[in-house]
Amino acid sequence: MHGVKRARQTPEALEARRLKEKSKLRDYLALTDNVLARKKRNDWSSEALHATTQLLQVNPEFYTIWNYRRHILVKGMFPDSTPEKIKNLLDDDLALTMAALKIHPKVYWIWTHREWCLKNVPNGPGTEDDGDARGWEKELWNQELFVVEKLLDADPRNFHAWSYRRLVLASMPIPKPELSELAYTTKKIESNFSNFSAWHQRSKVLTSLWSKGQLDETQSKEEEFELVHNAMYTDPNDQSVWIYHRWLVGTGDSGDSRDVLEREIAVIHGLLEEETDSKWCMESLVHYKRLLLRKHASFVDKSLLTQECIHLLEQLRKVDPGRGARYDEIELDLAQM
Amino acid sequence: MSQVMNDTLLIPLHISYIQNLGKNKNDLMYHLTAHLRMNAIYWGLTAICIMGHREALNRDEMVEYVMSCWDEETGGFGAHPDHDAHILSTLSAIQILVTQDAIDRLNIDRVAKFILSLQQPSGVFAGDSFGEIDTRFSYIAVNALSLIGRLGDLDVEKTVNYIAQCRNFDGGFGCRIGAESHAGQVFVCCAALTILDRLDVIDIPALSWWLAERQLPNGGLNGRPEKLEDVCYSFWVLSSLSMLSKLHYIDSGKLISFILSAQDTEGGIADRPGDIPDVFHTHFGVAGLSLLGYPGLVDIDPVYCMPAALIEKMGLRKGWQALERRTG
Repeated sequence: MHGVKRARQTPEALEARRLKEKSKLRDYLALTDNVLARKKRNDWSSEALHATTQLLQVNPEFYTIWNYRRHILVKGMFPDSTPEKIKNLLDDDLALTMAALKIHPKVYWIWTHREWCLKNVPNGPGTEDDGDARGWEKELWNQELFVVEKLLDADPRNFHAWSYRRLVLASMPIPKPELSELAYTTKKIESNFSNFSAWHQRSKVLTSLWSKGQLDETQSKEEEFELVHNAMYTDPNDQSVWIYHRWLVGTGDSGDSRDVLEREIAVIHGLLEEETDSKWCMESLVHYKRLLLRKHASFVDKSLLTQECIHLLEQLRKVDPGRGARYDEIELDLAQM
Repeated sequence: MSQVMNDTLLIPLHISYIQNLGKNKNDLMYHLTAHLRMNAIYWGLTAICIMGHREALNRDEMVEYVMSCWDEETGGFGAHPDHDAHILSTLSAIQILVTQDAIDRLNIDRVAKFILSLQQPSGVFAGDSFGEIDTRFSYIAVNALSLIGRLGDLDVEKTVNYIAQCRNFDGGFGCRIGAESHAGQVFVCCAALTILDRLDVIDIPALSWWLAERQLPNGGLNGRPEKLEDVCYSFWVLSSLSMLSKLHYIDSGKLISFILSAQDTEGGIADRPGDIPDVFHTHFGVAGLSLLGYPGLVDIDPVYCMPAALIEKMGLRKGWQALERRTG
């Protein structure tokens, strides 16, 4: 049970609720018995399908019933159906799962059933000859992207929805340009810098765009640094931004280069002057300075950088004492470098 | 309502809370959660073992229940009699049988065959024949095959290769290739790699940094950056840290207080203070406290999430570290 507040009830109130639940419970158990009995005798009729609809509307977490429903469709319904009829049946299931997801957006089984529906869309409404054999598929996958955006509007961190989004993007018969996915992450990030799910997605999209040469890596990276600096200055305590910054500094052709490291260290020092007790400024400075020491040892002032790190670690232990043991270990590691 | 005494673990209350879970058959909720029954029994059993009261639940009844969920057709276990076999309930069933010393009841060949049949060409495992894939299922397969002595039948390279592709730049792991790092997925990937002796796949400094940053000012742990704390992450983050020998990276005192504050005065632990308790959070809260060296608890193995002495006796113990158990 996640996030359900506890409310103490008197024994009388509990008894009243139990009585009220009694008929609901009786109906639920009768329906469950009915559906499981049908399943046992391989009943793949439309009545059986209807019974699973009723049961899943009450309990969409009953995975066995989703499995049974797919068997009914594949073994009982599809064989005698025209492509139009199959498409209509799948439309019904998409509506059923949509209603369920609105109430239970984190139930794996519902997402899985939607995916199955989309992967079973028949050819149509046209034919190979008129070039529209995959018309329904295109229509439904396009619609799916819209659906997943609605769910991400309701909860921008829902990892089921993000994972499903990646599946939709990879499955659409006419792929959506990756640049528009980049724009989507921009929109999500701009509405909330703390949305690490969007930053994460952005790191994956950019990696792909750069490797395919669809975006100039050098210029695009500079734009990213501008975006992330802006976010850092807006809320220096938001770890999403700092984690993304770490990716940006370390990735691609210029990953962990001395130029980038020294420039970013200077930027963060600037921010630390304004936010003198910013843990994330200090923590990131130690990380980047250690990278300079490790990767560019012959070009940097080792003893100065080491001293600076030790000083920052001392401050970190004060502002973030709970993680002090980690800072101690880093200091020990510095001494051994 | 009396104020909760939040400075100690209310063991007798939690034991009776778990004992009473099977007696709620007049509650609609009991039946609505039937699809989780096998997991719930495993959570309850492991929690009572860690609290030192293994005898609190009837062994023979439990073993009979587990066996009544075996699906002869597929070779796997369902969550409840007449529910379909799934890898999730199959691992719980095996864990219960091992913990209750009843593994002789298991048709090991059939169960191993069921699990191995779920590996996909990419190396990841599906949960059942319908093909939902997730690194959780890879861990379950590795854990279960190890417990029944059939790891030798697994294509280790292929399994590890998929998990390695789920690693992100922050050191964490996601549920599939390309997915965001999540503490629950970090636990399953770390534990699978630990069992397979492949910690070399993990970027230990990056991951231990990311894990340490899951602790919030109130002492609780979250599962992803900028999310709320939740007792269940106590186990997923802590077990991963303990496999990396970095448990000392967080403030254990504050985390212990947070877990204790999520206890219900009538027994059970909730996701966070003031919420309704359940057996899932009770189990993961107690398991987290055990790793933190909370006095009076029995050691838990963070890799298999089962009593440590049992795993050691089977010769399966790996090189994890928990905090030293305190006395009183």
